[in-house]
Amino acid sequence: MSNTWIDPLSGFEPEKASPAQPTADYVSPQTTWQETKRFKPKMYLVGRLRWYIKWPGHGARLWHRTRYWPTRRRVLNIEGEYNPKTSRREKTILDRRPIYWMLCIIAMVLVPLLAPEDMRNTVLTAAAVFGIYGAINLCWMLIVGTAGIFSLASYAVVGAAAYGSTFIAIQFGLPWWLLPPIGCLFGLAFGVLIALPAVRLDGFYYALLSLGVVELGRVYVIQSKELGSATGGLYGAPSYIPDAFTQDGQLVLGYYASLALMLGALFFYRFINGKRLGRVLRMAPEKREAFAQACGVDFLRARVTVFLVSSTVLGFIGGFYATHFGGASPNLFSFDTLLLSLAMLVIGGIGRAEGAIAGTAIVVFIDRVLVDWGPMRYVLIGTIMLLVVLLLRGGLFGIKQQFRAWRNKKKSEHRAFRAEKGGEMLPEEATETVDKDQIFARRFDKMQRDFLKRIVTPEVIAEHQRRPLGQHSEALERLLIYFRRQGQVDKYAILVAKEFESYKIVGLSGHRGTAPRLVEDRAYPSISEAYHALFLRRIQDLLES
Amino acid sequence: MNWQYIAINAVTLACMYGTLAIGLSLTWSSVGLVNMAYGFTFALSGYGAWLAAEYVSENAFVVIGAGVLVGALGGLLVCALAFIPIHDKPNFALRGMIATLAISLVGNQALLWYFGPRAKTLPRLFGTSSVDMFGIRITADKLGASASAIVLLTLVLLWMRSSRRGLEIRAMMMNPHAASIVGIGVRQTGLFVMALTGGLAGLASVLLAQTYYVAPFSGITPMIKGLSIALVGGLGSVTGAVIGAMLLGVNEALTASLLGGQYVLITQFLLIIVILLVRPRGIAGILDKAREA
Repeated sequence: MSNTWIDPLSGFEPEKASPAQPTADYVSPQTTWQETKRFKPKMYLVGRLRWYIKWPGHGARLWHRTRYWPTRRRVLNIEGEYNPKTSRREKTILDRRPIYWMLCIIAMVLVPLLAPEDMRNTVLTAAAVFGIYGAINLCWMLIVGTAGIFSLASYAVVGAAAYGSTFIAIQFGLPWWLLPPIGCLFGLAFGVLIALPAVRLDGFYYALLSLGVVELGRVYVIQSKELGSATGGLYGAPSYIPDAFTQDGQLVLGYYASLALMLGALFFYRFINGKRLGRVLRMAPEKREAFAQACGVDFLRARVTVFLVSSTVLGFIGGFYATHFGGASPNLFSFDTLLLSLAMLVIGGIGRAEGAIAGTAIVVFIDRVLVDWGPMRYVLIGTIMLLVVLLLRGGLFGIKQQFRAWRNKKKSEHRAFRAEKGGEMLPEEATETVDKDQIFARRFDKMQRDFLKRIVTPEVIAEHQRRPLGQHSEALERLLIYFRRQGQVDKYAILVAKEFESYKIVGLSGHRGTAPRLVEDRAYPSISEAYHALFLRRIQDLLES
Repeated sequence: MNWQYIAINAVTLACMYGTLAIGLSLTWSSVGLVNMAYGFTFALSGYGAWLAAEYVSENAFVVIGAGVLVGALGGLLVCALAFIPIHDKPNFALRGMIATLAISLVGNQALLWYFGPRAKTLPRLFGTSSVDMFGIRITADKLGASASAIVLLTLVLLWMRSSRRGLEIRAMMMNPHAASIVGIGVRQTGLFVMALTGGLAGLASVLLAQTYYVAPFSGITPMIKGLSIALVGGLGSVTGAVIGAMLLGVNEALTASLLGGQYVLITQFLLIIVILLVRPRGIAGILDKAREA
C-alpha cells in the first residue's frame, strides 16, 4: 500500500528533510472501465451462434433449382450468397432434415443385409413389427399432434379393423389383397363412432373416454365366441407371403412390405400435416380455438376430418396387420400395448413424424430384441418414458429447441447481470430527457467516481493535511481535479470570517443573488485547516455517492 | 328376478367404485393430475395387505391398516415422481398423465417381477357368516366391505369439511393459483392429497380383494371403472362421483342379472357415452368450469 512519492520541486529546497512521502499505490485510471466492460458470462463450448456448414458455390448454374413433380417444392432448401470477405460464392443447406431422412431410409432398406446371423430371425421379425407399429404411430401422431384430439383408441381402431377384415375374409374366403380395403371400411365406421364424442368432449375427458372404449373392445373381443375367445384371437386370414418362399425369404418379404407400409404412412403424414389441413389446425391449438374461430377457421371440421381420414388409414393398416400376422389378437386392445405405444410417441416427441419413427424404433428394439431381459425390459421402457417426460418438453427431438431456449435464458440472465446499475439514468428517465448527452455524461461520471473511490487512502488524506496547496502526488491530484471540476451548485467554499483568525465552510448556491449558506457552525483558526476540513467533506460526499 | 338382491349388489359395487372414483376425482381437482398410476397403487397396497396378513396378523384392522398405509406410501411415491418435479412446468396436465402412465408401467412390471404372476388371496376379514336383512341373505364380506367403505369415506369427507388441512385442499380445488397466493403450499397440499387418495385406493383394494384376488395387474380394470365413474360424475365433484357410482352400480347389477355378466362393460360404456354426450362435463360438472391447471 505504501508507495512513496518525491515532490519534483523538493530540489529547490534541499535543506528540508525527506523529500519522499508516502502515497497510495498507482492504479490505472482505466481499471474501472476495463472491469465494467470485461466479458464476464461463462462461455460454453457449444458457442452462442448457429453454425452452418458452408459448401463451395455452384459456378455456372447459379440460379438453378431442382424441383420435383407434381409440386414446386425444392429438393433441399439451399441458400446461396457471396461471402463478403472472400467474395466467393458459397451455399448453405438451411434444412438438412431431408438428408437425414434419406440416410435413415437407406439404412432401413439395408437392414436384412446388416442383421447379425445368430439373431437374424428375431431382428427381422422385430423390424417388420417396427414397420407396422411405425405406420400406426404416424397416423396416431396425426390425431394427437395435428388434430389435437387426445385419443387413446388408435390401436383399438386397428384391432377392430383387423378383427373385422379377418372375420369377413374367413366367412367369404376372400383373397389377401381385399383385406386392407375392407379394413378401411371398418376403420372409417369405427372412426365415425368414436369421433362423435370428440365433437363435444375435449382434452382429458375424451382421453379417458377413449380409454374406456379400448377396455370395452378388449372385453368384447375376449368374450365373443365368433371372434375366437377360445383360441386367444381370430386366426386364419389369407397371407400375402407365398408359401413357396424359404423361411428367410418370407421374413425379408414381410419386412419390406411393412417398410413400404411405413413409407406410405410417412407420405400420408406429410400430405395431411404439411398441407391445408395441417396449416389450419396449427392456427387453432388448444386454448386458442376461439381466436381461430373468430378468424373464420372451422377448426372443428378440420379436426374431425383429420380424425376420420386417419381412422380410415388405421383401418387399412389393420387389414394389413391381419394379412401379415394371419389374423388378429386381443393384445391390440390391452392396456400394455396402449402404454408401450404411448411410450413410443412420448419418447420421440409428440407432433413430429421423426419422433414417432424414432420412438417406435427404440421401444420395439427393447421390447422385441432384448427378449432375454423378461419383465425388466418394460421397466427399462417405463424408466426411459418417465425420464423423458420429467426432463424434456418435446421428447428426444425437442432437445435441440429446449437447449436453445435454455441457452437464450442463460444469455439474458448474464446480460442482466452485466448491466451495472447506479448513477446512470433509469430507462424512463433516459427516454424523457431532452439532452441525450446527459445519459453518457452520467455514465462516465459514475465510472470516474468508482475509480476515485479506490484511490482514497489514509496516506492521501495525510498528504493533503500536510500541505493542502502546492505539488501533490498523482492520486491526490486526480481527486482534487475532480473536486474542482464540479458544478457551482452546492460547491463548498471557504468564507473568511476574520483574516488569519477565523475561517468557515459554506456551500455556494450556484445562483446569482442568492447568498451562500453556512454548512457547519465550526470556525477554523487557519486557512490550511479550513482547506483540509473542506477536502474531508468532499471525500465523505464522494464515498457516500 | 330378485330386486333386493340387485339392490344389495348395486350398493356394494357402488361403495367400491365410489371410493376409487372419489380418490381420482380429488386428485384431479386439487392437484390437476390425472392419476393413471392409481391401478398400480391399488395393486401395491393389495400386496402390502397380503404381506401383513402373511407375516404379521390376520386381524381385520391390521390388514386394512396395512393396505391403507401402503396405499398412502404409493400415493406419496407417485406425487414425488409425477407431481413435484413438473407441476410448475409447461404442459403439466399432459406430462403428468404420461408420467403416471410410465409409473404404472414400471410399477406393475416390478410387482410382476417380484411377486410372480400367481394371484394371492387375502384372508376373510369379516368372517363367513351371513345376515338376514329385508328378507334376503347378505354374506358378511359384502356387508363388511360396504359398511367399512361407507364409514371410512364419511370420515374422510367429514375431515375434508372440518379440518384445517381439508380447508386447504378445498381451496386448492376451487382455485389453485389463488390458494397459492394466500399461502397454501402447493407441493405440501399435493403430498397430503396424494397420500389421502392413495389410502383410499388401498382401502378399496383390500375390500375388493374380499371378492376377487390380488395380482400384479388387478388394478387396471378397477382404475378404468373408477375413472369412468369420476368422468360421469364430473371430475372434481364428490357428489357427482357418488351419484355416478350409484348409477353405474345399479346398471352393473341390473345388466348382470338381466342380460348376463359379459354385457356389463358394454352397457356401462354405452351409458357413460350417452351421459357424456348429454353433459360433456359429467353429471355434476359445469360446462365452462373445466380446471385450468
